[in-house]
Amino acid sequence: MTLTMRIVIFIIGALLFIAILELVRRRKFREELSIIWLLIGFGVILSSIADLVIDPLAFALGISYPPALVFLIICLLFVLVMLYFSIVVSDLKSKNKELAQKVALMEYRNSKWGQT
Amino acid sequence: MKSYLIIIPAYNEEKTIAQVIYDSHQAFPEADILVVNDGSTDSTPEKAKNAGAMLVDMPYNIGYGGVLQTGFRFAVEYGYDFIITMDGDGQHDPYSIKNLKDTMELENADVVIGSRFLGGNYNMGFFRKLGVRLFSSIARLYTGMTFTDPTSGFQLLNRKVFAYLSEKDNYPLDYPDVNIIMALHKMGFKIKETPVKMLERRVGKSMHSGLKPFLYMIRMILAIIMVVIRKER
Repeated sequence: MTLTMRIVIFIIGALLFIAILELVRRRKFREELSIIWLLIGFGVILSSIADLVIDPLAFALGISYPPALVFLIICLLFVLVMLYFSIVVSDLKSKNKELAQKVALMEYRNSKWGQT
Repeated sequence: MKSYLIIIPAYNEEKTIAQVIYDSHQAFPEADILVVNDGSTDSTPEKAKNAGAMLVDMPYNIGYGGVLQTGFRFAVEYGYDFIITMDGDGQHDPYSIKNLKDTMELENADVVIGSRFLGGNYNMGFFRKLGVRLFSSIARLYTGMTFTDPTSGFQLLNRKVFAYLSEKDNYPLDYPDVNIIMALHKMGFKIKETPVKMLERRVGKSMHSGLKPFLYMIRMILAIIMVVIRKER
């Protein structure tokens, strides 16, 4: 990997990392959900020197084209992220249902109370 | 307050809802009638209220299962003994409620499902028919009983059953089907089927059309597997 390439990747990673921190600071992004993205930003930063680890690892695993290993790792990471967010969405959906039902029943109770 | 409650889940049924409420009251006056409005964008809630039904208004659309469960919670809160669930589009003949009631008393059942196939013929599409057959066979394997119409929204439940279904995750948000029959069987409730008369839908299109039946089948197979492998308390 050329030095320019390393610098470019490092900058991209750093920008991602800073952008996420900034979003959390402005409370646009909940802290507990941001951690997984911060890890990814950190991973991008690390990947600027990753070839030092990836190349020997890829050859040890019998992968003749090391970048393929990088793609594999990235794919796995995205699957994990999406799985995590699906869990969050499912949880929100259950809570949302509970809330809607409670509100509807409470509204009914209130309207009865108003009449009597 | 009466001991029977008719629950009618309604989503955009302004053309039929008033008639359904009126007919139900005529056919089975010993029941209170509750319409649960699932975020309709038309005048369904006004029509229902003017027709003399009690009305619970969901703040937004949450789906058929979630709406029925709201009705179950209502019935638990206000101490009803029996629930009859009916669709708001007028395809369930309220005069068949007596059948459900008689069957429950005769068979000492906890749940009675109104079947449109036990009584006579009813037309439906190819995939729908395939789905009903498939799920009926699965239910027969699991429960040892034949259910000719497990998707029927025309049912009579006693308090033990709806109190159980009203609990948090015991009822699905979308469409209850054989999965619920199997889950109730697993919990030891007695389920029976009885013929009911189905009227042609007055307006509107069935929810089971287009590509949906296929996705629905996959969804239901998953739900069935979950009923079998889940450990209940």
